[in-house]
Amino acid sequence: MKRLTVLVITVLASLLSAAPADADPDTDFTNELHTFGIYGQKDYNAWIGKIMCERLHNGVDHHAQDSVDFVKKQLGKDDTDAQAGQFVGTAINYYCPDQRLADR
Amino acid sequence: MLNRTNAPRAIRIGVAACAIAGLAGTGIATGPAEVATASADASDDYPIPNRILRTPCTAEQIMAAARDVEPVYYQRYMIDYSNKPVADQQDAQDRIHWFFSLDYPGRRQYAENTATNAFYENMSWRWPNWAKVFFNNKGVAARTTDVCMNYPPSDMSVWDR
Repeated sequence: MKRLTVLVITVLASLLSAAPADADPDTDFTNELHTFGIYGQKDYNAWIGKIMCERLHNGVDHHAQDSVDFVKKQLGKDDTDAQAGQFVGTAINYYCPDQRLADR
Repeated sequence: MLNRTNAPRAIRIGVAACAIAGLAGTGIATGPAEVATASADASDDYPIPNRILRTPCTAEQIMAAARDVEPVYYQRYMIDYSNKPVADQQDAQDRIHWFFSLDYPGRRQYAENTATNAFYENMSWRWPNWAKVFFNNKGVAARTTDVCMNYPPSDMSVWDR
């Protein structure tokens, strides 16, 4: 009985902790941006990340540097080039991992 | 001199006088404001922003600029555009090309026509936001016309998504 209780608690705990991680990539993306000190509205940043990917897919931007230039214009005035680069790397991971080769 | 029985009557008369004076004052204050807001004419900034009336850029240059400096606004427009029938897409292109081919007096007259006659612009009935990326936001117009001359004038790929 004691073993069964421990098992139930362990399964419940893993379910509770696992659920939010996969729930919404935009939230995870936003949380990762926060680790770089990039803030701003969640939906806006996510949309910029997705547009950035679309621009790489359809050839509007060709290299990661093009993406950094694009993203820099959309971030806050106080955000740096380095943060724009971190935004691009993170957005590629979340929204267009097939573009990792462009990240040069 | 007021005695006790006359005092409430005097107060009532005073209150009524104040109410009449207040109504008259209100009438004087709101009269000119009503006249000022009654006009439906176009202005030099409405319904089309002044920057758009005066820019030498083409529709494609404005769109290319919007794609870079107002990407979310551009994206919303393009999503709307791509959900329209091909005939409406083509006619929207043709109509905006025609608009940007006009000189300033022509564009100003067009603004006047659309402001005063809801039936003037046929495209608006087929697609109400057909020119949103160009006309609807003064801030967007300011930012796109600031840099539009740096883009190619006839790059039709800006209409692709």
